[in-house]
Amino acid sequence: MSELSRKCVPFTPYDRELSRATVALVTAAGVHQKDQPPFNIADELGDLTFRIISPEAKVEDLMVTHHHYDHSDADQDVNVVFPIDPIRVLASEGFISGVAREHIGFMGYTMQLKRMYEETAPQIAEEIDKRSRADLVVLTGG
Amino acid sequence: MRGIPTVLITVSPDVSRQMRPPRSLYPKGFRIGNSLGRPLMRELQTRVLRDALSLIKEPPRPGEIIERDYSDY
Repeated sequence: MSELSRKCVPFTPYDRELSRATVALVTAAGVHQKDQPPFNIADELGDLTFRIISPEAKVEDLMVTHHHYDHSDADQDVNVVFPIDPIRVLASEGFISGVAREHIGFMGYTMQLKRMYEETAPQIAEEIDKRSRADLVVLTGG
Repeated sequence: MRGIPTVLITVSPDVSRQMRPPRSLYPKGFRIGNSLGRPLMRELQTRVLRDALSLIKEPPRPGEIIERDYSDY
């Protein structure tokens, strides 16, 4: 299981060119595919689960379930919190090499910070490391 | 394990600063829910993403939040 750095800034260098990088998006903005279960916003403790989002997903395939920020703009265009179209533009321009095999969405609101930090975050890191195969990750919130 | 290079786009710089992210861009004045800009402003959204990714190649300033102005927001 992956471990998160506790004491230092978890800075990982990246020495290659951006044009050789495969990039994944990881968002705390509550984004998921419409064909996936929504995040549980009824539980006041929050929802510690995450969803794997296909790199092929289109804007109309995605939605936001999150009750701790105003996502009316994201409902209109999810790219305002989850830049799935811009990342394709940058890949097509050759600014980056490509889009990773998986993106990740979760709902950043939680009262269970310790479990989010010690369980969910390492699981997401593991997913990125083993299956998304991203060289770089762009993180966004709501 | 190997680390994963990350860059954060934040619209809550005071909150994000507490977590000392390794690389972070704050598009100045962007509201919560508008991390990349406003709906359908694809060129602006793409510019913000490009700028965030570009931090990967800039001299490291771990824990600092880099602010940028986007006057067309």
